[in-house]
Formats: sequence, structure tokens, C-alpha cells
Amino acid sequence: MVVSNSPTSQSTPASLPPSVFTLPQTAQLEALFTIIRDKETSRGDFLFYSDRIIRLLVEEGLNHLPVIPKTVTTPTGATYEGVGFEGKICGVSILRAGEAMEAGLREVCRSVRIGKILIQRDEETAQAKLFYAKLPQDIAQRYVLLLDPMLATGGSAIKAVEVLKEHGVPEDRIIFINLIASPEGLKNFCGKYPLTRVITGWIDQCLNEKAYIIPGLGDFGERRYCV
Amino acid sequence: MSDSLGTGEQHAPAELLEIPAGARPPLSRTVSNTLRPGAHSEFLLQAKKNTILKSHGRPPWYDEDGHSVGDAFVIGIAGGSASGKTHVARRIVQSLGSIPTVVILSQDSFYRRHSPEDLELAFANRYDFDHPDAIDMPLFASCLADLKAGRQSNIPIYSFTEHQRLDETKYLYGASIIIVEGILALHDPALRKLYDLKASSSQAHNYHTRRISRDTKERGRSVDGILEQYLRFVKPAYDNFVQPTSRFANIIVPGSDNTVAIELIATHVRRKIEDRSRYLRKSLARIGPRDLSPGDIKDQHFPNLTVLPQTRQLQGIFTILRDRTTTREDFIFFTDRLSTFLSEKALEYLPCAKKDVTTPVGATYAGKQLAVDHVCGVSILRSGGPLERGLRRVIQDIRMGSMLIQSEDKTGEPLLLHLMLPCCIRERHRAEKSFVFLLDAQIGTGAAAFMAIRVLLDHGVPQENIIFVTIIVAACGGVRVLQRAFPKVRIICGAIDPVLRESWALWDTLPSPEPADGDVRSPTAKTKAEAEAEGRKVWVVEPGMGHIGDRYYL
Repeated sequence: MVVSNSPTSQSTPASLPPSVFTLPQTAQLEALFTIIRDKETSRGDFLFYSDRIIRLLVEEGLNHLPVIPKTVTTPTGATYEGVGFEGKICGVSILRAGEAMEAGLREVCRSVRIGKILIQRDEETAQAKLFYAKLPQDIAQRYVLLLDPMLATGGSAIKAVEVLKEHGVPEDRIIFINLIASPEGLKNFCGKYPLTRVITGWIDQCLNEKAYIIPGLGDFGERRYCV
Repeated sequence: MSDSLGTGEQHAPAELLEIPAGARPPLSRTVSNTLRPGAHSEFLLQAKKNTILKSHGRPPWYDEDGHSVGDAFVIGIAGGSASGKTHVARRIVQSLGSIPTVVILSQDSFYRRHSPEDLELAFANRYDFDHPDAIDMPLFASCLADLKAGRQSNIPIYSFTEHQRLDETKYLYGASIIIVEGILALHDPALRKLYDLKASSSQAHNYHTRRISRDTKERGRSVDGILEQYLRFVKPAYDNFVQPTSRFANIIVPGSDNTVAIELIATHVRRKIEDRSRYLRKSLARIGPRDLSPGDIKDQHFPNLTVLPQTRQLQGIFTILRDRTTTREDFIFFTDRLSTFLSEKALEYLPCAKKDVTTPVGATYAGKQLAVDHVCGVSILRSGGPLERGLRRVIQDIRMGSMLIQSEDKTGEPLLLHLMLPCCIRERHRAEKSFVFLLDAQIGTGAAAFMAIRVLLDHGVPQENIIFVTIIVAACGGVRVLQRAFPKVRIICGAIDPVLRESWALWDTLPSPEPADGDVRSPTAKTKAEAEAEGRKVWVVEPGMGHIGDRYYL
């Protein structure tokens, strides 16, 4: 029995907060990231390969939800001691790039409810500001998968969690899913909300002076929807 | 231009014959329900004639170590033009009765590619098609050697109307008997070495009538042209090259009234084939699951078996899939989700190479890319089907081949009924560089998996390039045999189940505690008595998921 562990170029920061989980860093995953990072990649390929990563991220995120023991009978009459899913979930995407992750979410969680939040930078204060939020009514009773593909400074993600907490969702019931995170963003976010789990595909080197992730992949929403 | 009597085909014949449906015995796969009750008796009556080789599929051709046992049986038939070689070949096939697969290979397929000058001569009826130099003997011998050794072969196609070899080829694989016919079939020493039986047919008395009538009707020649060609080429070639080779023949078959000779040949071939299959039976009887005590695979060392990490979600998915009350809709959804995840895992075993790219922000990223020439999937029908969608979700345009392997009722022997492989595997030089995802829902006795892997190896796919993707592996079943015979084939599964047991094929009739929408049960449900009357025993993996193909499709 072998669990694959191909070496990759990923260098995990020494002081990763305990609430941060990355996907298994395989050569295969690195090849997927290589495709979506390449500026020459066509939009079709960008869609297809980013969806593959998103599916893996959602699968990993769901593993942090609780299960309860459940015994079932199989078609051959045998008994199987398994587990049942416990608790209701919903997705919340941060517009506009977060929406790109919804298709991947629904491929794994059929007909899951999805709330939407629009957060933009207030040019006067340079702070993240909530412009719009439509969330499921019973969101306080649900586990929330918060979707935003890129964690750069962490400003909008922090704002989004604040909004969810205002709607009654406890911090530890939120799972924040992103494809690429910067070390700075992880530090900010986890410093503010240590109980929220962060699932990320890849941790990059740094932010540049314009707060872009390096090497990153550019503007995810732009590449997914526009280019 | 003289040969290929009475085939009525413009292109040289090299066809894979199948035994007519009437002679087919009933079939069943591990836990399949392919036949309606009551459909058996007439099959069995007809199957009786075919005492030993009563199958229409291809029975195993390898021993329990996965090595091929014996080559195909090759018969070479030479003889003058229109002396009835094809006729003799067909009569042999006919009198053999029910045999797995036969190939009639015609010398006509191997005419050389002609130069423009030759072509001009050919259209003027002045090219000597009956001279040994007209035939591409080395290619002929290498194709025959491949087929005899059980490898695939892509033989050339020759067009009589264009007098030229065509660009496409004909893919052949899996014949247990090969009949080679051609006027010069016994001429080339390399070819002669490959024959197990050499026959020569002697000219029939109505030879000229047959030749003229065939060539005018089927090949659009004029009577004058035919006669001229006869005197100029056919006759001298016969005297110089064909007639002398009859001394190599083990048996001379008369062109007419040849019943006795054909019966002799058929009896000889049958006996050879029976000896071989008796040996195989004995050897394969040892393949089946021997130790059926509930097993735990962790005790064993299987370096090439990968089990998905048993996460909460995976356990939850398996609980839903194993539950007999799960609706069809849920079963399909969660099977697709699981197969997608399995496929992602399987892709991790493809080799990667370094690649640098520039990101839109101008930074350089030292990444990786897949480093493979060809990738394809092959699903073992029907149960491999549920894994196809998952594989397509990770490689959108992947080429998908298929195999249908069923177990024969009485012996439990697997039979290869259908084979459709992607182009990259049909050609040996590409197959050697191909990676193949082999899909089947579970590995129980492992008989189908064993055969499928053997087919890929026969085509030249290296063991280490085969990745077997499956949902459940039975710990005490055939997985041990598979890993011993093919230690480099990688197996990726979602779960390992402890029990493999033999039972009557009735398990899907267990009363449903909650007949939710009346469509949950399999429509082929049977009583125990009915199942016993049919004599169908199946291997059941437990706890398992029931019959995955039925639950996904029916």
C-alpha cells in the first residue's frame, strides 16, 4: 500500500498556522498549477484545469465536516458500519471571482445552496467594504464553504467572515477555500480568525508592491470570464 | 494477377471470423444478469456438439503466471491459381465447429507497393503477379510471426482495382488458428518455418472455367486478357514456383471431392487445440481464489496497490453507495464523484517533467507538465462504464477503448467477447509508449482484470504503464494472483473489502425494507430455485456495493 508523495517544488513556510491545510503537493497538482499559471494558456484550458483543482479543494474542505456513525445493509445482505454526513452546508462566494468556484462545488455537492457577497475596496478609506450580500436565511444553522480563488492580502476574506459572523455563523463553522494563497494573506487572515479553517491549493512566494501574488496567475476572475 | 478465388471481394481478404450466434453457450460474469430465464435450453442443445471448445469468445491463452501458453496454430495452404485454396480454408473452418477465433490470411494482401512503371504494366495485364518477387515476403513473414505469437498485427490492404497497396492497414489480434493461403504460401523458407501444418491443394479439373468466370465477373477482366495472362505468367509461375513447393506439404488436398482430406486436417487441428486447452484449464484452475478466509490486505505487502486515503467524505460516500436503499439517482451521483476522485489519484502516477512558464504578472514559475506520449482509457464492460465519466472529467478528450469479458457458465472461465482498442494501442510502436487507465468497478476473482491486462501486454504496453482504476478490491480474491503475475501494474482503489464468497445469483432479490419508488430493485430479480436451476454461481464481494453495473445502469 503506497500513498503517493511525489516531490514538488513547493516550499511550505516554516510557521504555517495550524488552521491552514494544503492539498497533497503532488507532481500532478503542480502540473495543473503550471497550466493555469501560464499566461499563454487558452481560456478553455484555464476553465477545465482550474475546475479540476477546485474539485479537489472542495473534496478536501468537506473532509473537515463532522460525520456520525451509520450502519447500512448492502444489496447482498451484508452489514456495513459506515458514516453518515452530519449537518447542513452552504456555499458563499465572494463576487466576482468566487463565482468561478461554484460549478466545481456543485459537481461535488449537488444542488447546494449558494450565497453571494460583493466586497470592494473603498477608495476613500482603502478598506474592504461590503456592497452586497444575499445569504440563505438559515445560514446560522449551516456550515459555510467560503469561496474566493486567490488569497492575497486577505482584506476581502476577513471582511466576508465578519459579515458571516454578523449573520450568526460561528467562526469555526466556516471553511475558507482558495486556490493560491500568499504567506502574508494567510498570516493576516489566521491572525484575525484562528478558528476558521483555510484550505488552499498552493502557497506562493510573496506579494509584490501592487499586492499581486508572485508568481500567482494574474487576475483569476479576469482570466476565467473575460480574457 | 490470379489469386484469391471466389471471395467476391475487391480488397484482399483477411477477416476475423466469428462463430454464428446459434452455437454460443450461455454466459455470465461475476455477478451479472445478462440472460433471461428460460433462454438456455436451445443454446445448450447446440452447444453440446462443441464438446470442448464450446465458447464463441476467446478463452484464456495464458497460465496463472500470466505467461502466454503456446502460439496460435498456423496452417499454410499453397496450390496453383484457382485451385481452391480459399475454399479449402473455409471448409476447414467449417468442419472445426465451434472454435474461438480464426484468421484466414491471404497472400494477396502482401503484394508489394508498385512503382509507376510496374503500375503501367499491371493495367496492361503485363505485370507478373505470380512471381515470388511480386510479394513482400519479409513483411508477410513478420506479420504472420506477430499473429502466431499472439501479438497484434496491422496487415496491408491491397486493392485489385487500383493495382496498389492502400495506405490504411487492417488490425488483427487474437486468433488461435491462422490459415494462410496463397499460391506461394510454401515458397518462402521464413514463412514455412511458421507453419504447424503445410498443405497443398491440387488443381481441379474445371479450373479454367472457374478462373475465367471469376475474373470477368469480379475483377472486370476480358477473356482475352485472362488467357494472355495465363499463358504469359500464370502457367510458367505454376511450373517454376508453385508446383515444386508441393514437396514441402504434409498433406495434398484435392481440389474437388476433398471431404476426407479436410476432415483429416480438422481432426488434427482440433486435437492440438484440445491438448492446449486441457493444459490451460488445469493451470487456470489454480488461479481462482484459493484462500477465502476474510482477509485484511494490510497484512500483505502489495507495493503497487494504492488505496484512497480513508477520509470522512470517502467513508460517507461509500456508506451511501453500499446502502441498498440508496436511490438510483444518488448512486449515480456519488459513483461519478468517487470515480472523479479516483481518476485524479490515478493521474498522479503519470510521469511529469519540468516546465517553466511566465505568469500574467510577469513572474517566472518553475513548474511541471505531463511527460507522456499517449494516454488512453480502456473500460472492461459493463462495470467499467461507471468509471468513465470520472476519467473524462480529468482528461476531457481521452480516447476510450473497451473490452467485454464474461465468464462462461459451467467452467467459470473468462471469455473475451469484444475488443475495441484506441489507435495508440493498436500500433505496437505507439503502444510501447502509451499509458493506459484500465477501468473496472471491482476486482473479485480478478479473472477479467487478468485477461484485460494480458491483452494490453500482448499489444506491447509495458506493465508499469498500466494503471488499473477500480472502486473495490476483495482482499482475499484475485488481487494476489494479479500482483504476483503482473507485479508492476499499478492498482488504485477506493476500498478493500474482506469477503469474497461464492453464491447463487439471487442476492438482489432480498426484500427491500423500503421500496422507495419501485424502481430501486434490479428488474432481473430471481428466486433461489430459479437461480439454482440455471446453475449460475457468482462471486460476491462483501460488504461490497451489490452489482455496480446494474445499479448504475438498470
